[in-house]
Amino acid sequence: MSAFKELVKSFPKTREYIRDFFVYGFKTRDEFQYKSLRTYDNERRRLESWLSPYVRKDHVSNGYNISLAIDSNLLDTNPLFRVWKTKSFTDNDIILHFLILDLLQDGTKLTAEEITDSLMAKYNTIFDTQTVRRKCNAYEKTGLLNRKKTGKTVVFFIDNALAFWIRANSSILDALAFYQMAGNFGIIGNSFLEQFDFSNKSFRVKHSFFVHTLEDALLLTILDIINKKTGAKLEIKSTKTGRTRAITCIPLQIFTSTRSGRRFLCGYINKTRRFTCFRLDAIKKAVPEEIKSNDGYNIPGYDELIKKLDKNRQQAWGVSFQSTENHHTERLKMEVHVIEPDENYIVGRLKREGRGGTVTKKEQNIYIYETEVFDCNEMLPWIRTFTGRIISLECTAKSVERRFYRDLQEMYYMYQICG
Amino acid sequence: MEIFSEIYNCYYQVLRHLLCRQDALTIQDIRRQVCSEGFEESMLSIIPKLESGTWDLFEKDGSLYRSKISSSFTTPVSKLEKSYLKALLSDPRIGLFLSKEQSEELNGMLACVTPLWKQEQFCYYDQFSDGDPYNDEKYRYNFRTLLYAQKNCKYVDIDYTSPKGNRVHHYYVPARLEYSVKNDKFRLLALKDAGHGRIKLETLNISRIQTCNITEKTYSKDYNLNSLIRNSYYKEPVKLLIKNKRNTLERAMLHFANYEKNTTKIDSDTYECLIYYNKSMETELLVEVLSFGPTLAVKGNEQFLRKLKERLKRQYDISMR
Repeated sequence: MSAFKELVKSFPKTREYIRDFFVYGFKTRDEFQYKSLRTYDNERRRLESWLSPYVRKDHVSNGYNISLAIDSNLLDTNPLFRVWKTKSFTDNDIILHFLILDLLQDGTKLTAEEITDSLMAKYNTIFDTQTVRRKCNAYEKTGLLNRKKTGKTVVFFIDNALAFWIRANSSILDALAFYQMAGNFGIIGNSFLEQFDFSNKSFRVKHSFFVHTLEDALLLTILDIINKKTGAKLEIKSTKTGRTRAITCIPLQIFTSTRSGRRFLCGYINKTRRFTCFRLDAIKKAVPEEIKSNDGYNIPGYDELIKKLDKNRQQAWGVSFQSTENHHTERLKMEVHVIEPDENYIVGRLKREGRGGTVTKKEQNIYIYETEVFDCNEMLPWIRTFTGRIISLECTAKSVERRFYRDLQEMYYMYQICG
Repeated sequence: MEIFSEIYNCYYQVLRHLLCRQDALTIQDIRRQVCSEGFEESMLSIIPKLESGTWDLFEKDGSLYRSKISSSFTTPVSKLEKSYLKALLSDPRIGLFLSKEQSEELNGMLACVTPLWKQEQFCYYDQFSDGDPYNDEKYRYNFRTLLYAQKNCKYVDIDYTSPKGNRVHHYYVPARLEYSVKNDKFRLLALKDAGHGRIKLETLNISRIQTCNITEKTYSKDYNLNSLIRNSYYKEPVKLLIKNKRNTLERAMLHFANYEKNTTKIDSDTYECLIYYNKSMETELLVEVLSFGPTLAVKGNEQFLRKLKERLKRQYDISMR
């Protein structure tokens, strides 16, 4: 039996475990479905090691629950960033990292052979030139080293000008302290801060959904495909059924919900000739793939698709581009009771949250909100937030109307509301 | 370019800090540092590698460890980090932090770098449309003043217009600048003297601050912001029963992920979720719970349940008119 290791080689398996612990926070050992119970034990032990200050254990009848107690209002950083800092490495990796970078700190330009000799002379450490060259080439790719070829000679060197500029301009570190919590790829901002021994003590983020950092490597791959303006083959695992399927599409844009933190890839599917959104947390893998038309249909060019998407997005409430009842779009009208002027903030809400819908005053204390979107079903959660004020709701998709009133009746029953 | 790379590994950071120490270290010093910066079990991996000399990065001098590298060691900025910085330069909020000259200088240094993403590649489809005016000079000035005061524990003299239109004038100590992604707004979490040596926490919208001036006075006492926030929580959390239909469980867990909560399984498809909150979060939480419709059942606390029922009763009465 191999010894337990705190660091891991690859990220995808860890991503699933952490997500389940974080999102659900109540699965016991027996309820985990991935692989063996020993795998569960090892993953749990790693999670406890990486995130120990945030792990909570609650005893229940069939064992104990492990969950992550993370309240974003109380934290200066995302604890799940720690998960990204667990990549395993070899003994040579860590030694060469420090010695080569130290050797070249002053901007000296050296060949791989000269670096090998200097490692011996300066640090009394023996490496073969091949190993040193491989590391230098790898670091050239990551950008830690620069490479210059003069004739047949290749030299490696460090350009630390940017690092020194950052050190001299602390306001960029303030910016990074903010963006690591509130922006895309916060993990990179966080690594930056660590590199410069700076930490966030000034900012908090409300409505921060920490779990979504786990999708950042996938997001990086998808953005790369988007930049290449090519197609992609996606491996998608249904969060409901657990089944995996493959889909090809042309990735166009990332849709983000600020209310749940969920992120979606919006792509064009040639087969259905539609825009469709896929949850990033359901995408297991994305690889570039050229999209070919099988039926003679001329696939629109990338720029044309972006234009079409921009136009279509005006009528998407959320992430759905398909109407409920086979109309192109559906109209929705809601009459809202607002006691003026005390409740004028409700009118403000309709305007700023109504995503392009019109707000008009019908008479004293009554306002009408109207909009036309692809899928009014998506609007229901928002409409329900006006419960207590909705005089009437009309929708060309009658199923939406029915569902709204049926849900209301159910709630009256649940909470014993009657005249 | 990879995010999951050993160059960002936690062990590398711990080792860098150890190696940049100018003084010779004992193994106890090293243990302490690994304990405070590493993962819980990192010591089991790192210490044997250093003791055995497998990671040949220290000269051993008896029981002391002397770093082989220079104390001014600086890790260069990687391509991924440069690309990230370049993307940030297009963010409308960057002007709150960097002057025009700094932005231009940084942009110049990153001239050959491709941004990691472009603003137009992301669509925040449900973000409120009345975000803060990040390009407004007064707003920027107030933001920078507050940030300076926060970092230096300075009292600020603030003239503020409340949401109800009342003009308020007080001295505050900025505790944190809080950003809401949903509202696209910054708020100031500020300490205010509550008399008898006590302090209380108040929240101000930065865009509503009319004037903001730093005073000579410094707040020198220790305070624990999280204790202040936690103390503001109601003793009884909201208790929700979640029936796992229409994928409600997962939606609710993600939706309420930014609250402190505790979820337990009651039976095969029912879960109980306790959510901790304070008065300032109450209306927002109530509205969020309502958005789920009948798939969530509120079982407590009494006050929250009463407010929910009041809204439903009002809806019932409107519907019956």
